Amino acid sequence: MNDILLTTTVGSFGKPEYLQKARNANARGKVSDAELHELEKKATEEWIRRQEDIGLDILVDGEMYRGDMVAYFAERLDGFKIGGLVRSYGNRYYHKPVIASKISRPKPMTVEWFRYTQSLTDRPVKGMLTGPYTMLDWSYNEAYKTRRDAALALAEVVRQEAEDLERAGAKYIQIDEPAIHARPEELPIAIEAMGVVTQNLKAKTISHICYGDFAAIYPGVLKLPVDQLDLAMHNYEYRWLSLFDKDPFTKELAIGVVDVHSHRLETVDEAAEGIRKGLKYVKADRLLPHPDCGLKTRTVEESLDKCRVVVEAARKVRAEVGRPAAV
Amino acid sequence: MKTTIVGAYPKISDEHQELRRALHKLDRDELDEAGIQSVYDDTTAWAMDEIRSAGIDIINDGQIRWDDLLAPFARAWRNTERGPLERFYDNNTYFRQPVITGPIETDGKTLVRDYAFAVATPAARGATVKAAIAGPLTFATLTAEDKQYKDLEARTLAVADALASELRGLKGAGAPLVDVEEPALAAHPELIDLEAEAIQRLAKGGVPIALHPYFFPIDGLLDKLSDFKRFPIAILGVDVRSRETSARAIERLSGLKSSVSLGIVDARNTRIETPRELGELVEAALKHVSADRLYLSTTTGLEYLPHDVAVQKLRALVEAARVTTGVRA
Repeated sequence: MNDILLTTTVGSFGKPEYLQKARNANARGKVSDAELHELEKKATEEWIRRQEDIGLDILVDGEMYRGDMVAYFAERLDGFKIGGLVRSYGNRYYHKPVIASKISRPKPMTVEWFRYTQSLTDRPVKGMLTGPYTMLDWSYNEAYKTRRDAALALAEVVRQEAEDLERAGAKYIQIDEPAIHARPEELPIAIEAMGVVTQNLKAKTISHICYGDFAAIYPGVLKLPVDQLDLAMHNYEYRWLSLFDKDPFTKELAIGVVDVHSHRLETVDEAAEGIRKGLKYVKADRLLPHPDCGLKTRTVEESLDKCRVVVEAARKVRAEVGRPAAV
Repeated sequence: MKTTIVGAYPKISDEHQELRRALHKLDRDELDEAGIQSVYDDTTAWAMDEIRSAGIDIINDGQIRWDDLLAPFARAWRNTERGPLERFYDNNTYFRQPVITGPIETDGKTLVRDYAFAVATPAARGATVKAAIAGPLTFATLTAEDKQYKDLEARTLAVADALASELRGLKGAGAPLVDVEEPALAAHPELIDLEAEAIQRLAKGGVPIALHPYFFPIDGLLDKLSDFKRFPIAILGVDVRSRETSARAIERLSGLKSSVSLGIVDARNTRIETPRELGELVEAALKHVSADRLYLSTTTGLEYLPHDVAVQKLRALVEAARVTTGVRA
């Protein structure tokens, strides 16, 4: 593994066509859960091999078995029910969960997938969870009197899951909070809830934040009790970096250097320039290049190409950083 | 008391998925422009029928053609484009941020054809059909890139002028009222002076304005919004329901000279309000606003809810109006 500019990804990859078809068929009752599970394992292994081949340092399982990042957990927690379809944008719809009664976790939700994926590779695989504030914000709350009450109840079940992942050997645990800036005045709730999740963890903790007004929660978000923040930067033309001029960034920074919502493939030079921008604020051993967000809306090939660009760009900048300073 | 709704209605239901399928076909080039327009028309008629059948008095066309609040304008206007995807305020719903590449120009007919279609549908018979536009401040503050205007003020006023031109078009088409959906004012109360100037320009379009600053609390703005000279609006939309603190706006309604569209049914949460809860809000509001100036409404567009819940919300709203006006079915 490299020791500076470690490369990683945010969590999800494009699903292969055979898996897409099987998921659709499963929804119609034409493919059994067991058959689908085998295909999900196959697709996961393929993604582990691809990540190794490309040369990524910190791997993910690619979320071949997940659809939406909140619904996956909502379907496995008691207290949630799955609502009807709601549009997210364009012609994309999802089942927005409903918190209908008190939340509890009947059993671990991601640990078996973590164990399986980690068994396939010597490189570290991240445990991947959705944070309590985002789970709340992306659900309808019918059960709890206040949003804080609901966030803290969700924090408790995410804590249980995170601690189980650590016991299963996870060295990195990512607890995503992409909704953290939805209501900036509620940042203290998100921080309090994350504190519940990470209080006992020794693993490196990470939180991914994307698509929103990061400036509205900075520098307050530095109080989020995680070791690393994982930020979409390329899509925002790296404008958030200038916030660090006034209030220095104090955590590890996973920096997004390619856009995930565009079919266009960035050049290695473009991505390398993004890494260099990040290096002005965060040292190379604390800066981790990656794509802006999960790649699930891209095809397998597009996902691969975007990751390759990240790895090549990191390699290029690593060589520059390693070079002795000109005399 | 009359009932109304704001914003977009769900575009599909469990049974009615034609639009979703048609857009997939359009993506794969299996459907042409005329084909998709016809599905948009059918879906609009379906949505309007549902809204009207529920008993809503002042209806809209459900904004079935609108990808997002800004899309119709960013698409139709000269020198504007739809740019990067961004989250729409505190919703898990995304929109394309406008990009302005030159001076904004419009023929003022962006919504005319769709409005004429809406009033001609069977559901429109006996109902008042209002139009809707994005608020100028919302369009201007959500713009990703502007190569034309020197600052937010110049951009907001240019957008307001273009929107006033759309209102002249809608006036020609007979629109009696237009909702100006302006979440940016609720999100950025410090921009209220700029909003005042923008609304004065909109008013020149000649269609009575219902201003809807939603998503965030506006009780702190109500005093300023009551100044009719600065805010020449016919109706102000006030959410008194969706947050733990929303109801406190009710006591500040007294000073308003405009009518009030009282947002009592939360269009962003699935819990169905009880008639009693709604009745209490209405009774409280009636102490500050006379019944002839009070409309009962959803807090925002119902598209933030699954279709089955949206229908129940419409029923709850109509039931609240029926109970509080004392008319028994």
